[in-house]
Amino acid sequence: MKQTFELRVNGRVHRIEAAPDRRLLEVLREDLGLGSVREGCGIGMCGACTVLLGGRPVSSCLLLVSQVHHQEIVTVEGLEENGALHPVQRAFIEHFAFQCAYCTPGFVLSAVAMLEREPDPDEQVLLEYLSGNLCRCGSYLNILKAVRAAAQGRRLHSS
Amino acid sequence: MSPEVLHPATLEETLAVLEAYGEEARLLAGGTALVLLLRHGLIAPRALICLEEVSELQSIQFNEDHVWIGAMIRLQTLARSPRIRALFPVLAMACGEVGNIRIRYQATLGGNLAEADYASDPPIALITLDAIVWVQKAEGKRAIPIAGFFQGLYTTALEPCELIVGIQIPYPPPGARMAYLKFRTRSAEDRPCVGVAALGVFEDGICQDLRVAVGAACERPQRLPEVEQLAVGRSLDERVIRLIAQGYADQIETLSDLRGSADYRKRMIEVHVRRALEEVCNGHGAIGAGAGR
Ligand SMILES: Cc1cc2nc3c(=O)[nH]c(=O)nc-3n(C[C@H](O)[C@H](O)[C@H](O)COP(=O)(O)OP(=O)(O)OC[C@H]3O[C@@H](n4cnc5c(N)ncnc54)[C@H](O)[C@@H]3O)c2cc1C
Ligand code: FES
Ligand code: FES
Repeated sequence: MKQTFELRVNGRVHRIEAAPDRRLLEVLREDLGLGSVREGCGIGMCGACTVLLGGRPVSSCLLLVSQVHHQEIVTVEGLEENGALHPVQRAFIEHFAFQCAYCTPGFVLSAVAMLEREPDPDEQVLLEYLSGNLCRCGSYLNILKAVRAAAQGRRLHSS
Repeated sequence: MSPEVLHPATLEETLAVLEAYGEEARLLAGGTALVLLLRHGLIAPRALICLEEVSELQSIQFNEDHVWIGAMIRLQTLARSPRIRALFPVLAMACGEVGNIRIRYQATLGGNLAEADYASDPPIALITLDAIVWVQKAEGKRAIPIAGFFQGLYTTALEPCELIVGIQIPYPPPGARMAYLKFRTRSAEDRPCVGVAALGVFEDGICQDLRVAVGAACERPQRLPEVEQLAVGRSLDERVIRLIAQGYADQIETLSDLRGSADYRKRMIEVHVRRALEEVCNGHGAIGAGAGR
């Protein structure tokens, strides 16, 4: 019993046919081909499936497609502006903030969500936003360096 | 077969579809608990009633003598709201300790209470605040004091076709000191092994009112009024604090699960009630700003 949904993903509207209880994770990966959205745990713990929903970081493994229609969804594919990577993405590259990179899109989106709300994050805010993402390769130190650098860059930029 | 998903826009419409589908429908709030139940085949409802657009459930209102929190308010909103943090620091702290940032941005207070998992944080704080749960079905609405809302493991006072519309919390006395301690045994984002919420009111160092709730260690969060009374009219010195901590450890019937054995939990209740009371009376606990605006 499929239904038609209009999803707003990365600034574009997509019409898709899906069962109303299909998870957003599967719709993004399989129907829209957005491979950056990954399934790690499937139970809300690891953050590999993080997307921004109306700017809020959420687990797409815990959302049904029928819960999100009409709301703006952002994945890392939508972070580039005029062909340039987002400052958080650049910081991840500069600081080698990954090994296998399975966790990277989720971490990048959590950091982007944080910087949208907290332009000047202290360590506590950093942990509030990032401690829910798991990295099985243990790249945490470099990830934190990258995010601190991105926050620093933003401070310089805005002052 | 996949369920039909309905999107009522008002409370009236929601109650009507709840009546129409009866036990064959499930309410869908944030979905953080429900989506897992669906996926594991533990429930197979004919319809899901999505509460996302129900306007009556979405607001926080600071009234004369209480705050009103709509059932669909997200835990992150409560953790971060400056006025909730000032008036009810114990609630903001408990909501801020839930799972991880994504769960807090998606999960709602109504969904958390209705799930009635024994290892949840917000209910423990709400019990010390004497919150009232407002529930409604087609025939009318009623107020349930939060302590009676939780009836046992995953069991609440909700009747069939009834939903939580919001939570009403009276303002605590000005200067009330509050603390929430979450003790985890497995990982940083885990549910609690033991949760302790405390609220104390003092005048010249003498305790006027003490409320202590323990949860996650037992089937439902609990206060022990006779033990709380031990503090009233006294200063909370080391001896009184130990007496109260011991009272909670002795009288709460603990359970065993992967987060700890019943016996271990008794010991951890004693430790964490003591620490919560120390925070509340040594001035490290957060101070509620009291009533009014
Ligand atoms: C990874 C992870 C970690 C977690 N860690 C913690 C933790 O540390 N502490 C903690 O307290 N919790 C924790 N939780 C649980 C989480 O807080 C709950 O899943 C959440 O609060 C449920 O709210 P929801 O809005 O997502 O509800 P939903 O999943 O939409 O619904 C939950 C239940 O409530 C019913 N329901 C929803 N709204 C209403 C209503 N208004 N009236 C009546 N019934 C209703 C639904 O039908 C369903 O049965 C965790 C969950 C996950 C997935
Ligand atoms: S796959 Fe969604 S949080 Fe792990
Ligand atoms: S870089 Fe491999 S999981 Fe994080």
